[in-house]
Amino acid sequence: MTSTVHSQLDQQETFNITRPLTGDDFLAQLLHEQQSLTAVEEFSQSHSAGTVPAQAKYYAKLMPVKAPQPGEQYAFEVNLDACSGCKACVVACHALNGLDEQETWRDVGLLVGGTTTNPVIQHVTTACHHCLEPACMTACPVDAYEKDETTGIVRHLDDQCFGCQYCTLACPYDVPKYHSGKGIVRKCDMCVDRLSSGEAPACVQSCPHEAIAIRVVEVETVRENAEVDPFLPAAPEPHITYPTTVFKTERNFPRNTLPADYYSINPQHPHWPLIIMLVLTQLSVGTFAVGLILESLLASSLLDSFRPIQATLALVLGLAALGASTLHLGRPQFAYRAIIGLRHSWLSREIVAFGLFAAAAVSYSAVVWWPGGTSERLAILGGVVLMTGMIGLLCSAMIYVFTQREYWNFSRTVSRFLMTGLILGLATTWLALLLTTVVSQNDRVPQLLARVGPALAWSLMAATAFKLLWEAALFLHLFDRRNSPMKRSARLMVGPLASPLLMRFAAGLLGGIVMPGFLLLNSHPAAALPMIDLKQGVIVGMLFAACLLGELMERYLFFAAVSAPRMPGGLRS
Amino acid sequence: MIHDLLHARTGPLTRELLRTPGEFGLGQVPATSKPDATTRLVCGYCSTGCGLTAHLQSGEAINLSPTTEYPVNLGMACPKGWEALTVLDSPDRAVSPRLKNSRGQFDAVDWNRALSEFTGRFQAIQAAHGPQSVAFLSTGQMVTEEMAFLGALTKFGMGLLHGDGNTRQCMATAVVAYKQAFGFDAPPYTYADFEESDVIVLIGSNLCIAHPIMWERVMRNPHSPEIIVIDPRMTETAMNATQHLPVTPKGDLALLYGVARLLIQNGWIDETYIDEHTSGFEQFRQFVEPFTLSEVTTQTGLTSAQIERFAETIHRGQRVSFWWTMGVNQSHQGVRTAQAIINLALMTGNIGRPGTGANSITGQCNAMGSRLFSNTTNLLGGHEFANPQHREKVADILGIDPNVIPTESSWAYHEILEGVLKGKIRGLWVICTNTAHSWINQNMARDILSRLDFLVVQDMYHTTETARMADLILPAAGWGEKDGTFINSERRVGVVKKVRKAPGQALSDFNIFRLVAHHWGCGAMFDKWTSPAAVFEMLKQCTRGMPCDITGIRDYQHLDREGGIQWPYPDAESIQVPVTNRDELTDPVENSKHNVTAPNDDSHLASERRLFEDGRFFHSDSRAKFLFEESRPLTENPSSQFPFLLLTGRGSASQWHTQTRTQSSAILRKLYPQQPFVELNPQDARQLAIQQDEQVHITSQRGEMTATAFLTHNVQPGQVFIPMHYAATNQLTDAVFDPYSKQPAYKACAVSVSKLGRTSLV
Repeated sequence: MTSTVHSQLDQQETFNITRPLTGDDFLAQLLHEQQSLTAVEEFSQSHSAGTVPAQAKYYAKLMPVKAPQPGEQYAFEVNLDACSGCKACVVACHALNGLDEQETWRDVGLLVGGTTTNPVIQHVTTACHHCLEPACMTACPVDAYEKDETTGIVRHLDDQCFGCQYCTLACPYDVPKYHSGKGIVRKCDMCVDRLSSGEAPACVQSCPHEAIAIRVVEVETVRENAEVDPFLPAAPEPHITYPTTVFKTERNFPRNTLPADYYSINPQHPHWPLIIMLVLTQLSVGTFAVGLILESLLASSLLDSFRPIQATLALVLGLAALGASTLHLGRPQFAYRAIIGLRHSWLSREIVAFGLFAAAAVSYSAVVWWPGGTSERLAILGGVVLMTGMIGLLCSAMIYVFTQREYWNFSRTVSRFLMTGLILGLATTWLALLLTTVVSQNDRVPQLLARVGPALAWSLMAATAFKLLWEAALFLHLFDRRNSPMKRSARLMVGPLASPLLMRFAAGLLGGIVMPGFLLLNSHPAAALPMIDLKQGVIVGMLFAACLLGELMERYLFFAAVSAPRMPGGLRS
Repeated sequence: MIHDLLHARTGPLTRELLRTPGEFGLGQVPATSKPDATTRLVCGYCSTGCGLTAHLQSGEAINLSPTTEYPVNLGMACPKGWEALTVLDSPDRAVSPRLKNSRGQFDAVDWNRALSEFTGRFQAIQAAHGPQSVAFLSTGQMVTEEMAFLGALTKFGMGLLHGDGNTRQCMATAVVAYKQAFGFDAPPYTYADFEESDVIVLIGSNLCIAHPIMWERVMRNPHSPEIIVIDPRMTETAMNATQHLPVTPKGDLALLYGVARLLIQNGWIDETYIDEHTSGFEQFRQFVEPFTLSEVTTQTGLTSAQIERFAETIHRGQRVSFWWTMGVNQSHQGVRTAQAIINLALMTGNIGRPGTGANSITGQCNAMGSRLFSNTTNLLGGHEFANPQHREKVADILGIDPNVIPTESSWAYHEILEGVLKGKIRGLWVICTNTAHSWINQNMARDILSRLDFLVVQDMYHTTETARMADLILPAAGWGEKDGTFINSERRVGVVKKVRKAPGQALSDFNIFRLVAHHWGCGAMFDKWTSPAAVFEMLKQCTRGMPCDITGIRDYQHLDREGGIQWPYPDAESIQVPVTNRDELTDPVENSKHNVTAPNDDSHLASERRLFEDGRFFHSDSRAKFLFEESRPLTENPSSQFPFLLLTGRGSASQWHTQTRTQSSAILRKLYPQQPFVELNPQDARQLAIQQDEQVHITSQRGEMTATAFLTHNVQPGQVFIPMHYAATNQLTDAVFDPYSKQPAYKACAVSVSKLGRTSLV
């Protein structure tokens, strides 16, 4: 619309206002006037000619006197007594750094508490804390974070980032923000090039009340403070990453001072590619594991028809998992960079471990198709598959353990992943048995079924029952007196996540209890008939699908119901 | 190269966020928006009137930052100011006139069609029901020149009598209080007073949220001032006060009278000042006698100690300034409360000196422009419609027949709406305001608007609640897309410039008025109204000899250079003539003359000036009046059915009024809760079994809404607070008005609160 009008108007000549105008001429003149910008010609500009920004006279005192010496670094200092909650810092950072339409690098939270006679409200402006031990940097598999040795500023290398978003989970302060359009994360760099030319960062120079300053802090002081300093009410504990921001106040906050969003619960991003990747890698490892257990218990010849099918199924689903994982990356074309963080990043380690696992699994699955392969070598190869798979699974768990979220702690996460592996290993083995009976003419297949069927069914029922009960035990936290992270997770599940929760338990019961129960009731061990008829086939199919769905939903809840740490937030509604 | 593939330290994504020296006195700016020129203009949100530097590329603003050298904001801005350009790009912008068809839907039409509808329908209504059956409602958000044009066009050209502004909702009380007490609507202060006081008293004023940049000036005060906040709520400002007096809602009047009595009783008054510069003190002294401590503690819910400490702090202060905002103005007894504040300043001699004053902080960017030049309550330039000499003077300056000027003032806003109910007003032209959201008792307001024969809404956005009800929408250019002047709270005239092209067919309000004049058939009357600058010249002449004399301002360039200029700013010729007196309009009196000197090219008046330094006020005796009245009870007290008192007010510094603009910025939207919330004391919540974050139902006799419960001790038990920015809030409020200012009392009505039900499994 605008451009059309404008092009029409451009063709108009200058109007002679002394001659009488027709109505249309007049309208055209007004529209033309509206589109011509003359402020520059009409008003002379006056501005300081020097290279020092005019604003410097206000922020000079908010800047450090000298650069950090060894053992020191730059830090934000927030004077809480001066922060009035206007949030100009958030918007100025946005405007002066050219951030995208929705993008902000600073947040302002709200603390409330006290009593009716002495109420307390305190706004808190926060950005990146440029930590001594930045979790984002340790977590990053591609070394897209750098902590400057002199200034201590934690910078993000936008062109190095491949968008795995692991830093967004690792940072306890919810600082790095993923930008889906660009496929990368971006964050506060303390306006490093402003600082280096003596100019204050955008937030510092825009705070009307001079509440934000840049100071030099001693690294040792930051560490010492983390031992005792509660940082801010209900904020993540500082010993995790050693945040350097100094919040200073002369006020004494009442003990009940809490963030305004303390009781609000919000489902977290579920990360579907990660859900699929985790569940299917665990399925794959579990299936190989079940296969190896069967190898150790049964005569090798009994498994001849079954072995290649089971291994191939495990391999295919495992490779699908690895494929899914690349979908999670904002810029999958740079997936290869993941290896460079091997020394510190659990994500790099996971990728390498599962890469080795995939190689071993491909070899194993290829070898098992050759009849007469020496069983000893096969056993060694199988052992390698299992070992790399278990290492991969452990690395997967450590990715989440590293974030120090209670719901994702070591025992919970490792147990969860192992049990998923077991349940889906058993379920996939059932599927492999079904496929074997369909494709194989080997007359020993019914014998195999009769031999392992009941055990597989009972194992699956037991594993499922145990896992569901274990998961349900979370709801005991609903009775916690404190609004603990675990209670938040439980509240999320029975509240906004009630539907996926119901789906998870329904699918788990169906696939892990009801369907194997049917199989047990319908099995005919005495008869020499092939055990799997059409009806049985449907049951096994449902068993597998429901178990898989159940675990996928379990993993959805794993991500969505986690209580993510964060700085004090504002009122939500 | 290979290393880059493995570890890329730079590249296109890094370049997106490069910063580069902005030059023009700026610091670094995003490299993508490096300006080739800059120009400054006054912000178009609140009455603070901050200077903003537009970063221009090829004449068009692509970014902005607060102006370092502007004497108001000293290089700072609130979030609204920083995002002022963003909201111009909204998809909700009106880009062509829109006419409602018979199915109730809008069709885009061209300007000729729109104007023929406009003139045809309004003229038909006037023909059938008289010229006064069409009225207008305008704004404190347009530039002064546009306000004047609207007032002149409607009243002189179109024959309308009634028109009022949304300024009725924010500063009418202050206007009346000042007029009655000082003889002219004259806020006496300059923002430097925030920095020079040793005692700052804020009454019904949450500067931190409503005027963050004025709070900046308080924070720059080097004298460690006592800051006393009188507000029922623990606001951000109260939190930063040295004394917070959580007075019972509308108990402020009794408190102020009680403090006056204490000051008198203790001899803590300036008798010399009272004798020389005021009238009516003796009656006031007698009047406040009954406001004993025990009486006042009962009426205010405060302790004797709190009240005595307040009085003593005033007494000990060398430079005490009193500031009030909507907590006072939007009250059923706002004028008397404002005057009770003025009384305290007068009796302690805290006026006319640095760091003192009885100071009204108003709302909108051009509230003061509207007060002087909207041609609604006053004739252009603070004149009176009833005064024949004033009509002659204005007619002469405008080159029109004095007989076209009405001899009486307009109806007030609510009288115009009542006129619709009575069938006396049939057509309404709403310009740059959002009645269907902002007017008190909203359900009734919408019902009234729906009864009109013809409703024209002229706005930047075609999606405002009021625009949706219109028969015809006229698309207006917004702030930054047109030229003109604003006058801020401290009487500073500042320039607004066109630094953006308006979208589509949108025209500045000024040009829409020119077009209307042309189509209406009164174009010849406005031949001189060719540009905002030309109108500014005429308005200057209108102020000659008035307290608001700005004849010394040469032109927009002069204003731009000086960083705005406060009125009065008379030229040499005006200085010879005493300021017109308000009581004896035909006989200007010598003693009203101001102690200002004529500006000339080499030396001009100080950038920050205050009024009444000579102790002379605008009444004929040049004395300020003590005005007072018995306090009146709340019109709707909490009852068993509606046990809570609802307070309303601003929710955050990122929201502006009915949010037609601020909701168009993705960043601003991130800075406040999107859905309504209600502040509820935990004690009340326990009784109602309401949990934190639970959805609750709030009902008044007039309407209902749902909101998220925010349990906080910030509100007293028995009171709840809901921000005014949410459209539903005004469904609850009660249409009660101050009898003198006719300003709505938004801040006290009875409501009930109840659980809505829960969404979770437990």
